[in-house]
Amino acid sequence: MNWLIKSAFLVCPGHEYHRKEIDVLISNGKIKELGDNISTPSEIKVIDAKDSLLFPGLVDLRADLCDPGLEHKETLTSGREAAVAGGFTHVMVIPNTKPPVQTKNDVKYILGGNSSSLVQLYPMTSISRDLEGEELTEMLDLYTAGAKVFGDGDKPIWNTDILVKSLQYLQKVDALLVNKPCDQWLSKFGQMHEGVNSTRLGMKGIPVLAETLMIRRDIELLKYAGGKLHFSTISSKESVKLIKEAKKEGLNITCDVAIHNLLYTDEKNMMFDSNFKVDPPLRTEEDRKALIKGVKEGVIDCIVTDHHPHDPESKDLEYDLADFGITGLQTAISEAWSLKADIGEDKIIDAMSLNPRILMGLEDIKIQKGEVADLTLFDPEKVWEYSDRTNKSNSHNHPRFGENIKGKVRAVILGNNIFQDQD
Amino acid sequence: MNRLSVKHLLGIKDLTREDIELLFQTASSFKEVINRPIKKVPSLRDITIANVFFENSTRTRLSFELAEKRLSADVINFSSSNSSVKKGETLVDTVQNILAMKVDMIVMRHGSPGAPHFLARSLANTKTGKHAVVVNAGDGTHEHPTQALLDTFSIHEKLGTLEGKKVAIIGDILHSRVALSNIFALQKLGAEVMVCGPNTLLPKYISDLGVKVELDVDKALQWCDVANVLRIQLERQQIKYFPSLREYSLYFGIDRKRLARLDKEIILMHPGPINRGVELSTDAADADNAIILDQVENGVAVRMAVLYLLASKKPD
Repeated sequence: MNWLIKSAFLVCPGHEYHRKEIDVLISNGKIKELGDNISTPSEIKVIDAKDSLLFPGLVDLRADLCDPGLEHKETLTSGREAAVAGGFTHVMVIPNTKPPVQTKNDVKYILGGNSSSLVQLYPMTSISRDLEGEELTEMLDLYTAGAKVFGDGDKPIWNTDILVKSLQYLQKVDALLVNKPCDQWLSKFGQMHEGVNSTRLGMKGIPVLAETLMIRRDIELLKYAGGKLHFSTISSKESVKLIKEAKKEGLNITCDVAIHNLLYTDEKNMMFDSNFKVDPPLRTEEDRKALIKGVKEGVIDCIVTDHHPHDPESKDLEYDLADFGITGLQTAISEAWSLKADIGEDKIIDAMSLNPRILMGLEDIKIQKGEVADLTLFDPEKVWEYSDRTNKSNSHNHPRFGENIKGKVRAVILGNNIFQDQD
Repeated sequence: MNRLSVKHLLGIKDLTREDIELLFQTASSFKEVINRPIKKVPSLRDITIANVFFENSTRTRLSFELAEKRLSADVINFSSSNSSVKKGETLVDTVQNILAMKVDMIVMRHGSPGAPHFLARSLANTKTGKHAVVVNAGDGTHEHPTQALLDTFSIHEKLGTLEGKKVAIIGDILHSRVALSNIFALQKLGAEVMVCGPNTLLPKYISDLGVKVELDVDKALQWCDVANVLRIQLERQQIKYFPSLREYSLYFGIDRKRLARLDKEIILMHPGPINRGVELSTDAADADNAIILDQVENGVAVRMAVLYLLASKKPD
């Protein structure tokens, strides 16, 4: 199938056509031609992309697709549908499934559907058996089976020895280790950010200290062990500061932030709405601003969806009994785009496409002649209703479900596969 | 003004000072009523109230039930102390089932902070529940609004006003819904508030609520006009916060000797049930300046006022 994307505005920092109008001719999954004004050959489908933005295909470094084990919340199939509707071509799924992703078979289960799908899934593969932080998994063998990124997903690596050993062991294959920084004792029973609002609500808080303590610890361990470490879902001003300093020292450190921590603060918890119950928690306006600045300055490398689908039975509950998380795959780019004045359009694309691509060990994206087409077409002005009718995920635990959202993905192309929004 | 600004009583946080003053006025009238030979009024005839208690309670439940009966409401009781009632669906389902039997008001105690807010929000979207009124009888470590109302009412009764009065809340502030609701109510009424207890039982950010913090119980007692002594809630502590009850009572327990050292007489309060010999010694609890049983009596009048005013506020 041949496609011509006509008159799109390219946002791809570093590209010769960056922030210029461009036509892209795609033939048999590859970019055949690109330029100012490509004449329309016959027998071709034209996508009129006037007023739409063309991005390199979006990449998410952190999504929970709950499959295997919790398929009532999400499956690889429904997760893929939500991802593509949200503009993603590549998604890394965390290993907190039942069972966790820790064997060659598990890795193959995640990778298996890729050849027949548009959205490419990659496993974050657990470094400790059953995510318990006690015994190492067979990381080299898992790497050979296709795992490129390692970590225990939602479970912070609490065991210092396991973290050191993983950092050392993975150096042989230069694989990325991911940790979610949170001290499990200081955060125990915590429901929201610890501060004046948690005090007002009588709710056990999760202190910033729980996060920064582990970041400090891990920085020391990284200095000792070497290797490379990625902090996933940081949430505080102090964390941004620590990581900025560590990067300045030349340590091989990267990090990401969840989209909701850029959008909301703990004021949202005041009505006990469990849709705002996330881990790490929504923190203060000062933290939110520091996170935004962190993305803008490149201290924070990626924005992740931190997609956590939940069924009503585990989410539509008394606040303290509800599970943590928001679904994010389908809405993340629209919500990120709402922050473009603060973060900058280029930085959003860095953080949601180019940087995560590198961290996942994928080939650098090239929107060039002869390269595989990996593109997302986004209409920043289109308002759409996020509802049962449009929702692709199996779940809808999202603070804006039922509302109108501005900015919609129009098309996603990866190789021979194309998704076009039918709305 | 003879209407409350709220449809439900979910917490003191949502009330205005005028709401509290109206509740006090109404409670005063009801206190007079319950001291008459015939203690019952027909105000809530044909109103059905369900007391739904997901947590153990003796005095709050009795007090509500009595208040309801004094107002001639029809009363049903549901209690499930089974803390394994974990699914919110069960909560909403349970209440919906009760409401389907044409119940008008739900008085609920629940172990989760915000459970009444969750319930009120869920009911607003249902056919059976949208007119129901929810009264919070204690939600986890969040609020216990009627307790705070009866506490402040009792101080008001004793001292004539709360404006400028100094109230020390002593004990386990971290796990106490009584403390939080009292802080909100006292501040709305113009009183100064201090909290006192072992530092591990004081929320780290409590001073951000505009209260004084004191670790020395003698200093707190010397400072205050009223000491509201809280029960040490061992059952709500998931983690150890102090080494032993013995040490607690030695350093934070209030007895007659401690009170005698003060150069003034202070009012002593306790929301009950007292751990005698732990936070309060028997000689202190039974002393003349202790108004613990007045609190209990006022509890009925205040709850009558709450139910009466909420029932007469017609749903929109």
